[in-house]
Amino acid sequence: MSASAVQPLERNGGGRKSNWVRALTSGAAIVTLLYVVLYALYALWEPRALSSYTFTNLINNAAPLAIAAAGETLVVLSRGFDLSVAGVVSLTNVFMAVWPMEGPGGALISLLGCCAIGAVVGTVNGWLVAVLRLQTIAATLGTMIVCQGLALVILDAPGGMVADWVSYELTGTLFGVVPIAGLIIAAVALLWLVFLRTNTGIGIYAVGADEQAAMLSGVSVTRVRFAAFVGAGMLYGVAGFMLSAQTATGNPNAGAPFLMLVFAAVALGGTSLSGGRGGLIGSIVGAGCLMLLQKVLFSGGVSSFYTGIFQGFVLILAILFGRFMPRLFNAGAKK
Amino acid sequence: MSVSEPKGAAFQASADLRRGGGISRETTNAIIVFGLSILLILGSRFVSPALGSWSQVLTVLMLASFLIVLSFGQGLVILVGGLDLSIPAVITLGGVLATGWAGGGGDWYVLPAILAICGLVGAFNGFGVTVLKIPPFIMTMATSIILASAALGYTSGTPRGASPAAMTALMKTTWVGIPVVVYFVLLFVLAGWLLQSRTVFGRKLYAIGANDQAARVAGVAIGPVTTQAYVVSAICAGFVGMMLVGYANGATLRMGDNYLLPSIAAVVIGGSSILGGRGSFIGTVGGAVLLTTLGTVIAAIGLEQGWRTVIEGGIIVAALFFMREEFFARLRRPKRS
Repeated sequence: MSASAVQPLERNGGGRKSNWVRALTSGAAIVTLLYVVLYALYALWEPRALSSYTFTNLINNAAPLAIAAAGETLVVLSRGFDLSVAGVVSLTNVFMAVWPMEGPGGALISLLGCCAIGAVVGTVNGWLVAVLRLQTIAATLGTMIVCQGLALVILDAPGGMVADWVSYELTGTLFGVVPIAGLIIAAVALLWLVFLRTNTGIGIYAVGADEQAAMLSGVSVTRVRFAAFVGAGMLYGVAGFMLSAQTATGNPNAGAPFLMLVFAAVALGGTSLSGGRGGLIGSIVGAGCLMLLQKVLFSGGVSSFYTGIFQGFVLILAILFGRFMPRLFNAGAKK
Repeated sequence: MSVSEPKGAAFQASADLRRGGGISRETTNAIIVFGLSILLILGSRFVSPALGSWSQVLTVLMLASFLIVLSFGQGLVILVGGLDLSIPAVITLGGVLATGWAGGGGDWYVLPAILAICGLVGAFNGFGVTVLKIPPFIMTMATSIILASAALGYTSGTPRGASPAAMTALMKTTWVGIPVVVYFVLLFVLAGWLLQSRTVFGRKLYAIGANDQAARVAGVAIGPVTTQAYVVSAICAGFVGMMLVGYANGATLRMGDNYLLPSIAAVVIGGSSILGGRGSFIGTVGGAVLLTTLGTVIAAIGLEQGWRTVIEGGIIVAALFFMREEFFARLRRPKRS
């Protein structure tokens, strides 16, 4: 699936390996395996885990982080760090809570508004990074702080109400089984697969892998980087929208927890933090793993005081495992 | 800008920037940040007559002391091309242990022992980054999550105890009208500068950050030296935890949270490359002083919290913008192997 679409760019030298080995050892496949293992553990300790209700809840919990991680992936692939994710999520959450719009039409306008906020922030980031060539981590730190400030200006303390339609419908299911949030995540993944076919999509990998080589091959580095930040910003907007649907209220600091988790999800999904390798779908599943892990630890009876210790070690092990698996397969293929 | 210029220069660690005359660029950078700080303090007189005084300068230096110590460690890690996200958790660790083990008084060896424990945390980071080859971002974040959880469990949610006597003395007493901590910070800056710019250890850090392959060929033991940078960073963070305890006379579990991003911002505003190999501690000190000045001046303006935050973010971007011209003047020189 996604993995095979990414692979040709990822490894030029691996032509001899069969396609399925590549697909199996890609970041997305490994993190999916991790997700399945975690889910099995969860089902073992929590019999209700297999019900559609629990699954919907899991998807709803993971959706905001998954979509934000998807956005961050665009920037990380092009070799950058985007800290503005925390700011945009806070800002859109506050936007949703202070100006709720009822009904499906209102929800659509809200969604467009969130995307627009993200796009504006992304444009500013793109301008600072691609045109002025400021360091990504520092420039987006600045925009993140500005967004956090604006969120505080709009809503100085947690409060407000997200439109009922948004908070009920978007956390519900279609035909009683398919979580709506899951459909939105799927839509993001689908858009990504389409985007991969475009020149800009390929350009993101090229720029992330070797900026000078990309430039010499005629890729417009400025445009690609700009597109990555704007696309990322819009996805953060959608993430803020989904978070609002889930929490049903506003909090000017709603985005702060996303800052670290988003990068964890991206790395867990097999995307190299130094750019050029990985994919968006891995990040989405990675986000799912992070959220699922909390449930698994809870149902496994780990005191909430100590869940962090497990999370930290799982993160390290997952990264090591993701590196070890391809080597194992490579060794097997050579024999 | 000519076409032949590497467009991504901003993203590439550039060893070449250090070639000849690199110091002057760093000096210029430091002068810009210090200049901005002084302008801010002088300008703040227009905001409120209470500002811009000698006592405000002392307050700024005192408040900046936390950030200066922290960003020294963060700066060394960034210099070798890493990033230390475990700083908030190590601050909390230092603070919680200091109040828990040495609250009120404490034997002379307790505080050094706590610093040694913090150093072990840094060694753990270094081990993950250099031996397990985990990206620094992920490794230090994992350490941070683990430590925060351990601190939560250890204190059952509420840290107890008061500040150790030595830290209270450092943070609360004055000598010849100047807080003792200001003298301490001046000495620290001198020592830090010597370590980073005038010792073999410092030169090795620059070499690794600029080009680790070349450094390896040149005989630098990459793993141990990189690990040492993380150890220094953790010790600095642990010490800041103790300083904060001395300042506030108690520890909280979230006491380090507000220091992570400023510690990175101070280093970057001070003119270092986030990708390593370039920067000076003096510039970082300038960045820390600028950020702290900014915080105190903005706090005094009397705007609501939201607008203050907006201005703070805007000034960070503006400061980066000012650095940029300087940055490009250097980049235009022919270079790159």
